[in-house]
Amino acid sequence: MRDEILGKVRESLGRRSGTVPPSIPPTARVPPRKAGDAETEVAQLLTEIGKLSGVTRRLANRDELRVAVAELINVENVKKATLWTTPDLVGWDVAGMLRSLGVEIIPPQADKRLVAACELGVTGVDAALPETGTLLLRSSPERPRIVSLVPRVHLAILTPAALRPDLHEAFADTKEAGYSVLVTGPSRTADIELTLTLGVHGPKSLYAWVLDES
Amino acid sequence: MSHQPTSIDFRANVQQVPSTMPPAVQKATTKFLGNRAALVDALGNDFWQQLRQAGHEVRLHAITHLDYYLEQAERQVIQAGGHVHWARDAEEAQRVVIDIARTHRAKLAVKSKSMATEEIGLNHAMEAAGIRVLETDLGEYIVQLKGMGPAHIVVPAFHLSKEEIADLFREKLGIEAPAEAEKLTQIARMKLREEFLAADLGISGGNFLVAETGTIVTVTNEGNGRMCCTVPPVHVAVVGIDKVVPDWESLTVLLKLLARSATGQKLSCYTQFISGPPRTDAETGPKEFHLILLDNGRTRILQSPETRETLLCIRCGACLNICPVYNHVGGYAYGYPISGPTGVMFASQILGSKAAGALPFASTLCGACNDICPVKIPITEILLHLRRRVVEGDDLEGAAAPYSLRVGAQIGAVALGTPWLYRVGSRMLKRLQVPFVQEGWMANLPGPLSRWTMARPFPAFAADFRRWWRRRSDRT
Repeated sequence: MRDEILGKVRESLGRRSGTVPPSIPPTARVPPRKAGDAETEVAQLLTEIGKLSGVTRRLANRDELRVAVAELINVENVKKATLWTTPDLVGWDVAGMLRSLGVEIIPPQADKRLVAACELGVTGVDAALPETGTLLLRSSPERPRIVSLVPRVHLAILTPAALRPDLHEAFADTKEAGYSVLVTGPSRTADIELTLTLGVHGPKSLYAWVLDES
Repeated sequence: MSHQPTSIDFRANVQQVPSTMPPAVQKATTKFLGNRAALVDALGNDFWQQLRQAGHEVRLHAITHLDYYLEQAERQVIQAGGHVHWARDAEEAQRVVIDIARTHRAKLAVKSKSMATEEIGLNHAMEAAGIRVLETDLGEYIVQLKGMGPAHIVVPAFHLSKEEIADLFREKLGIEAPAEAEKLTQIARMKLREEFLAADLGISGGNFLVAETGTIVTVTNEGNGRMCCTVPPVHVAVVGIDKVVPDWESLTVLLKLLARSATGQKLSCYTQFISGPPRTDAETGPKEFHLILLDNGRTRILQSPETRETLLCIRCGACLNICPVYNHVGGYAYGYPISGPTGVMFASQILGSKAAGALPFASTLCGACNDICPVKIPITEILLHLRRRVVEGDDLEGAAAPYSLRVGAQIGAVALGTPWLYRVGSRMLKRLQVPFVQEGWMANLPGPLSRWTMARPFPAFAADFRRWWRRRSDRT
């Protein structure tokens, strides 16, 4: 099957096997976007996420983070949460904050139905793209995929260091990483009479907080 | 539309189009075109044209080096721990998926939207093999409940009203469903959530296959694509061999073009990059990853240099949105899961002239599709070649047009191309028309000409242009 298909491809292109790697023409490339200064970039990121019905905040330090978490738990009525365990999140002790607010923490590796019962999933962000309001999330033992997918609320906490000018730079970091996902706003559809509704299968609410303290 | 059609009668299909279809189509297409135009404006037309040219070149490069990139993609996927299968046609692809399902004793499969799987009639084949297959894209879920195929490649159920959808949910799901988009969406979310968690197998397509790292890219908005590729223990991706892209740098161009062209979004909600199965259990995700590389006629399309650029298509749907024919008849008239100009190109070539010979003629050749295509496929040129193929035949296929059409075309060529014949003929027409004329119009013409007067009357021939021109010139 394989050889037949490849054989037909080669025949159609008038080629024998064992070709030298082809070189891509320079006109097939487009230069990346030029980034503004750090402040402008962060502001643009938050504006774009806002346009997509994401909820954004700028937080100066861990104390403000704690306050913001408490407000979120209240507003979204969170009883159970699941989290990434990247150094940032562990360092800020987001799990500890949640526990102290009475939220039960479910490990992402638990039975998927248990994880699906969580209202909140908390992640970090591996790269953030201001032009489109996009958050790039990788996958690893500390970054389980299910955390940003299954709960009704996705909270992504990032620092300004995560920002990248464009897709080109973001990809350079992550293309060998195995799996990644670009998240641009909460889940949506316009399949019913072209009316926009949020929260189809992915999270209904996306919170993106930029924490200035590293 | 779960099996390959043997013959597509576009004209007959058009007669069946309900009067509710054109306004529904135009509501959807107007919205997408408007959003697209705003984003193209924001980027600046110069940059947009630069992107289109780059998109064209990178896809053309990929297609003209397809052998190299397919082998590279295969190597990379295997290195990443995935399995690669090659399927020459629909039956072979169906068999591979069913074998994988049987190996894992799968009873329930969840599927994200994939034109390739519709093309091969996968759902139908799996159901026949006793495996339940559930479409999870909301629009596809709805048309699946209704027992139909998609009416548009991006918004499959746009033609149904919320009242019809509420009735459908009431009937098929036994749920009291109010006719509101928000509530209906929540019902679908809840129902499909149970299915995602219970599914044994997740099936997806792939918008792109990056040869550099063996990565499939899925572009979705709802999250069902992520669910299908993350939650069930086995993930199978069916990807046409034409989806190959050389490297991640190429993706930067194509991703900037795709969502803007499709729905007028800068990027869709979830662009997923999957390179084999997860490397660790702790990161959650499927235990096994299978990639099925599908030919099903694509190597034949590749064979013909005049039509090869069909394979550049990135399935954005912009050509559907702008096409005046599509805007009047909707997707079902084309009799194929992909409709509009790109559907015509694919269906004619994958099904062949005998089955789909009517489709290249389902176009006004206005060329709007050429201008809107993000990868600059010369669509009308390809349609003209496909018409020639139907009427005259070419290297790939014999003529498929009915004998009468072929003879008619030849007669037409002679009559219009021979000056004295044309002159004599035009004088005769004035006499021949007399029995059919009433008050300056011919409402009913005989024989094959009735196909015109079925829809509208033909004006009577009133004068001889050449004589009038000569007299006018003599006077001055």
